Formats: sequence, C-alpha cells, structure tokens
Amino acid sequence: MAKSSLKSAALMEQMKAHLSTDAGKDIVKKVNLVYQLNIAPKKIGFNEEIYVVDLKKGEVTQGPYEGGKPDATFSFTDDDFIKISSGKMNPQIAFMRGAIKIKGSMSAATKFTPDIFPKPSKM
Amino acid sequence: MAMRELVSGGAACAEPGSSSSNPLGALANALIGSSSKTQERLQEVPTSTNRVSNGNIYEGGLEPALHGSEFDHPPHASSQGSVFLQGFRSSGQDAFANAWDEIQNPQMPLFQGRNNLIPPDQIQFQPHDGPPQRVLSNFLHSFVNSGHGGLPFHPTPLPALGLSKGEKQRIRDRSSIMARHLFADKNEDFVNAQVNALLSSLDIDTDVQARVTPPGRSQEMENVWNDSQSMQNGPRDADGWIAEYDQHRVQKGDPNVWAQSFEQLHGANGWASEFENEQSQIASFGQVRGASVPSLAAMEQTRVLAHTLAQNPDPKFKSSKFLQFVSKMSRGEITFEDNQVKSSGLPAPGDWATEYQQQFNGGQSWVDQFEREELFRGSAGWVNEFTTAREQQGPVDDQWVNEFSKLHVQDWADEFGRQVGEGILGDDSWADTYDEYLNEQTIVKQQSVTSKGVYVFSKLNPYVGHPNPFQEGQELFREGLLSEAVLALEAEVLKNPDNSEGWRFLGLAHAENDDDQQAIAAMMRAHEADPTNLEVLLALGVSHTNELEQAAALKYLYSWLRHHPKYGTVSSPELSDSLHHADVARYFSDAAKISPEDADLHAVLGVLYNLSREYDDAAESFVTALKLRPYDYSLWNKLGATQANSAQAADAILAYQHALDLKPNYVRAWANMGISYANQGMYEDSIRYYVRALAMNPKADNAWQYLRISLSCASRTDMMEACDSRNLEVLQKEFPL
Repeated sequence: MAKSSLKSAALMEQMKAHLSTDAGKDIVKKVNLVYQLNIAPKKIGFNEEIYVVDLKKGEVTQGPYEGGKPDATFSFTDDDFIKISSGKMNPQIAFMRGAIKIKGSMSAATKFTPDIFPKPSKM
Repeated sequence: MAMRELVSGGAACAEPGSSSSNPLGALANALIGSSSKTQERLQEVPTSTNRVSNGNIYEGGLEPALHGSEFDHPPHASSQGSVFLQGFRSSGQDAFANAWDEIQNPQMPLFQGRNNLIPPDQIQFQPHDGPPQRVLSNFLHSFVNSGHGGLPFHPTPLPALGLSKGEKQRIRDRSSIMARHLFADKNEDFVNAQVNALLSSLDIDTDVQARVTPPGRSQEMENVWNDSQSMQNGPRDADGWIAEYDQHRVQKGDPNVWAQSFEQLHGANGWASEFENEQSQIASFGQVRGASVPSLAAMEQTRVLAHTLAQNPDPKFKSSKFLQFVSKMSRGEITFEDNQVKSSGLPAPGDWATEYQQQFNGGQSWVDQFEREELFRGSAGWVNEFTTAREQQGPVDDQWVNEFSKLHVQDWADEFGRQVGEGILGDDSWADTYDEYLNEQTIVKQQSVTSKGVYVFSKLNPYVGHPNPFQEGQELFREGLLSEAVLALEAEVLKNPDNSEGWRFLGLAHAENDDDQQAIAAMMRAHEADPTNLEVLLALGVSHTNELEQAAALKYLYSWLRHHPKYGTVSSPELSDSLHHADVARYFSDAAKISPEDADLHAVLGVLYNLSREYDDAAESFVTALKLRPYDYSLWNKLGATQANSAQAADAILAYQHALDLKPNYVRAWANMGISYANQGMYEDSIRYYVRALAMNPKADNAWQYLRISLSCASRTDMMEACDSRNLEVLQKEFPL
C-alpha cells in the first residue's frame, strides 16, 4: 500500500494482514459485505483517502471500489475511525452526531462494528 | 343585551373615558368577583397540565355565569378606571365558582387524556360553540379574570365574531387602558402581553398604523403596542402537535412508535395542512418578535413532550438525560436561540446543555435537527414570512410547506425511520443510546483536558509528604507494583519538578501500566528537564509509535540518534523538519554497522521499522537485540507486539509469555495477550487476560473498551453491565485465569 500519514492507514494494513488469518476468514464469512471507507485527516470530505474493506473476498485495497457499488460507504475523520475501531466510540452514536456519514444500505452499515477490526498491540 | 352594544357603547366614538361607555367594565364587574375561591382555582391552573386552551374552557365554563342579575345593572361612574376597580374588588360569586368547577372538570383538551385521570371518552377538543355574543363576553371575562391569578392570558382563536372595524378599534383602545388599570400591580410586559393576547384572539389587528390615531393618550398606547411581546402562537402550536401526536400514538413507552408517528407527521403533509388550518384561525402576528415567539412555543411544545415522556412508566425514560433535557427546555431553563442552546437560570458547572452545545457545532448535529423538527424553529425569518403571507391563504400552504421541507425533515425522518426499522439501534432503546451519547460527551470533555501532554496527577496521594518518595517509587517499580510506584513518583515530582529521572520513571511506569497518554505527558516533562537523555527519547518514540503519531515518533527516534555520543556523527548535522523515514532508517543502519553489538541500537531500529510497518525487519531487529539482552522484558514485549501487528498472533503470545515470566505484573503484556487472543477470535480467553490486566490497573481505559468488545463477541452480555460499571470483583470472579 502507498505510504500514508493517516493513523488509519496503519489499521488498514493490520486489517489486511488479519484477513488472511483464520479469524479474518471467519469475519469474511460472517459479514460478507463490501465497505468503502473515505477517511479524511481533519474534516470530513477534505483530502480523503479511500480504502475498500472487501469482506467478501477478504482483502483491503486503496482507492475507490471498482467492482461495482460498495454495500455501504462511510466517511469519517482519521481520529474518529480509530476511536470506532477500538471501541471508544459507538458507531450509532457517532452517526447520530454526524461524525459518520453513511451511504448505501443501512443494514450493511449496522454490521460495521468494532469487532471486525483487529486491535493494535502496544510495544 | 347585545354584547355588541355593550362593547361598542352604543356610540361611534372610540374615546376612552366617556362615562357612558363602560361596558366591559360593567361586564367584568358583573362576573368577576374577587372571591377567594376563584382565586385559588385560578392559582391552581398553572400546576395543571392544561395550559393549552384555557380560553375555550373559560368560554364553556363561564356561560352559566352570564345570567347573573348583576349583569343588568351596570353601575354608572364617571371614570372608567374606578368603576372597573370597584367591580374588580367586589365580593365573590358562587356562580363564578360553579363555572370554575365546570372548567376543572373534564372539558379538558385531549392532552389531559393521557394523564389517566380523565376518562378517554371525555377527551374532546373544546369547540367554539355558542352565539358570538356569548363567546365574546366569555372571552372578555376570561381576560379580566386572568388578572386574578397573575396568569398570562392565553389567546385562543375564536370564530368570527363579526366585529366591525370600529368595534375592534374600540375594544382595542378600551382593553389596553383597562388592562393598565386592571393589572396595575403587574409589570408593563404583563400588561402588554395580556392586551395583545386579547386582541389577537379577537382577531383585532394590532397594527397601529391601521387605525386613526387620536392624540395624546393613544400615542402612549401605540408605544405600548409596539413594545409588546406576544405569546400568541405558543399554545396553538402545541395544540396542533398534540392533536396529531395523540392520534398517532399507539401505546406508551415505545420509542419506535414515537419515531414512526413523527415520521408520519412529516412524511405526509398531513401535519402541514393541519397546521395550516389552525393558523387560519389565528390572528395576524403583528409585531411578532421572532425570538420570543418560537422560544415560548418551544417551551410549550417541549413541556408537552416532556410530560408525555414522563408518563412512560419505564424508569429508564424517567432518568434519561434526554427527558431531563427536554424538561429543562420546557421549564425555560434552557432556551434555543438562533440554533444555540442557551441555558438560563441554573447554569451548573458541567451543565449538560451548554456542554453538549459546546461539543457540537455542525449543521448536521442532532440537536439542530431535533430543534428544527420538533420546535419548528427555522429562524425569525420563518415567522416573518408567514406573517407577511398571511393575507393570502392559499400561497401560505405552499410557502410554509416549502420552508419546512427545506429543513430536510424528510431525509432525517426517513433515515431515522429506516434506522429504527432496521434495528440499527440494536438492543438499546433509543433513550439508552442517547444516554450513552451523553455519557460519551462528558467523557470526551474530560479527556480533551487531559490529552496531549498535560499530565494528570492522582488525587489523594498517600505518598505526598513521604521523606523520600523517589527512592520509594523506584523500589515499588522494581517490585512490580506499578500503580503504587506511580503514586510515589508523583509525590516526588510534585516535590521536585525538575527531577528528570523522577519524571522518566513516572513515564516508564505509566507505559508499562498500559497508559500511553500519561506516559507521554510524563516523558515530555522529563525531556524538558533533560533534553539529551536517550532513554527518554526512546520512550517517547515508542509511545508515539503506539499512538500512531508517525511524525512525532520519527522526530524522537531521530533525536535519539543525534544525541547519541557514538552515532551523533552518522546523521547529517542539520535537523530537517521534513524527516523522511527512509533517511532515518538508513542512518540507523549505518550506525548498526559501526557497532553491531549495541542492543539499544537494534531496539530503536526495531521501533523504527514498526513505524513504517516493515514488520519483518522490525522483528529481526528485536530478535537481534534479544540475543544480546535476553532478560529484557520490555524487548520481549516489543517483539510480541511487532508479531501481533503483523498477524502472527501465535508467535506473539509466546513472546508475551517470556515477558511475563520476567515481569509478572507487566500490565501492558497482559493486555497485549488479551488482544492477541481476541484477534484470533478466541474471545473467552481474551476476556480473562483483559480482566487480569485491569485487576492490576483499573485505569487502563483501552483495556476496558476491548473487554467490552470481547464480551459482546463472546455473547456474554450478562456481564456487560459489570463491565460498564467497571465492577472488577464480579468480573474477576466470573473470569479467573
């Protein structure tokens, strides 16, 4: 993946590696959806980096989703995504606040929970 | 006895003060009495929930009282004022009391129906019945009565009374003067409000330009009018909303129904047309103050809403902060002004409303949406627009609807409806979710104070005053009692803020306790005290790497190299701001060639590779370092973390085990263990490790979040409450290692 300065990029790489493990394969089986994440450094919509977390094929790629339409597209800031994936912020609440913008299927969006993401270990 | 004649005084003249025309005074005199009983009743009214259509009630209830004998003998008096006051103070009347009884009985508006006090079949919206004269007389009575209890007079729409323009003028003039006398003990605003209300209900144009201006006195009145604030629209809004709401309400206590009914309100333009119908009965707005009308309207509506929510027996609802917020709004403690929440009266510190508003600045904020939808408060412009458009009934429909639709209600309602439908709100009820949000907000607020470099000292430190806290702290650290060591070291740095070693140990203790935020804060202080300390620089590099702060981490790691006595020459002399990772890595590699036996160097390299997510190289570096220093528990943990982050969880667990063998109270390693198990999907095991870590350091916030996730993944929602309340005892009992 291209080097990025976003914190989320580290998470994306970890996710990528994670999906090839047994646990990752379980997640793919359970969720079976394609998410596109538009992650902005400071403010939603500006200088976004786009990642596709394909939980159908089990891969994480950079750039908009080419294979059709993603089941759900999320837009948030770098910090907010980190908070959501670590469980510090409840995604529903974040949505109500407007910290997440969601496009696409709501039911797909509800499956976007912290537990599909691996947690970073601390040195 | 034509009321009309009374009102008009049988003469065309509008001069107040002419003795023959004191019809209203007489009327009032006839019917009011200042009986104590009625006063009590009047004072009862504010506590009842029926504020909505008092005018109607008055008219219905007062009807019988019209037949009093006194009515036929209006006293003759030279001055209107004195007569009126005389009448005002006359003794009580049973008739009036009876009338009041009727009022209190179930001719209440349908809102009362939800109180379970009123049998449902009596929920009737009080119709405007009765001949116009009666209506008018009753109405005027109530106006005068309103002075008794100090109640604000409620304007109500009355059917067309057929008052001519002249009559209207007379009523206006007289009533304003009368009000002045009548409410002499009240303040100006009250007077103005009363008069306004009266006139608006009678459909009298309050626009002063419309009438001929007699000299002198009426100028004063003109000013009075111009200054008045009006409550005209408040209760009416609530009426319509309540009506709709009640119709759609299926059962109490189901938040979904609320959402659906709300959706219905907005989805069909049914509400819009309903509102329009209501509006057509209401007098012109005149000099409406945009700010006050909607805020009062808002208060009314939110009171209604709050009451409705309070009816819900579910304790969650009652205690929910949302309900409290709405209640506050309804009591006027908080008002919305220009889409800002303004708390008035009781601004406690940490006041939820202000806090909430401070957190929130976005057009998409829930509060904004809520206030727009619930309170129909676009802006003062909306009111004015409506006012100007009032003349044409037809276009008003469209205008209002257009205006309203601009508020994106449909989108929000759709989204919300879908959310509810899809169960996105999950197991939590809507109120719960909102409560969670509120809690989160307060936490966020606290955190924002502590974040990024500001060290937070513990309260109640038993080591303050200890003769040698630094030594004590180091001792505790060696023994592995990290939280105790933290306290002792805090005592030390409170005593000697420049003790860089003290700060360093403190930072180290926090890092091993799995708190990178505090670790960074402490290490920064250490760095200030001693900018060349290599261990400090390394620790800062590590913590920032953990926090994914790439630029800062790189800066510190590079600093390590430059300050190193041996390798200072390796790097280029100038400290460039835009450090590139590749360059720095190269320098380190060069340094490693110089002295390959330096474990520290390899360790730093390992951290550096972690930063650039070159995990294989990182692991290699750590392995090399460990060969040189096999009993360094910290290195084992670093190795484990590297492996875990590159999805080699099984290897990571082995490395962590080594670390824990060397240092059994290594909280960070315990937490990392938990993470590695969770990442492998072994949630039950991960729970045990998290609990163990938390038992040693209950302040490890990260671990609490992860524990929660693992509990839900393991379907142990029974323990969720223990987790949320941070009840370690229960958790430890349930999940021993």
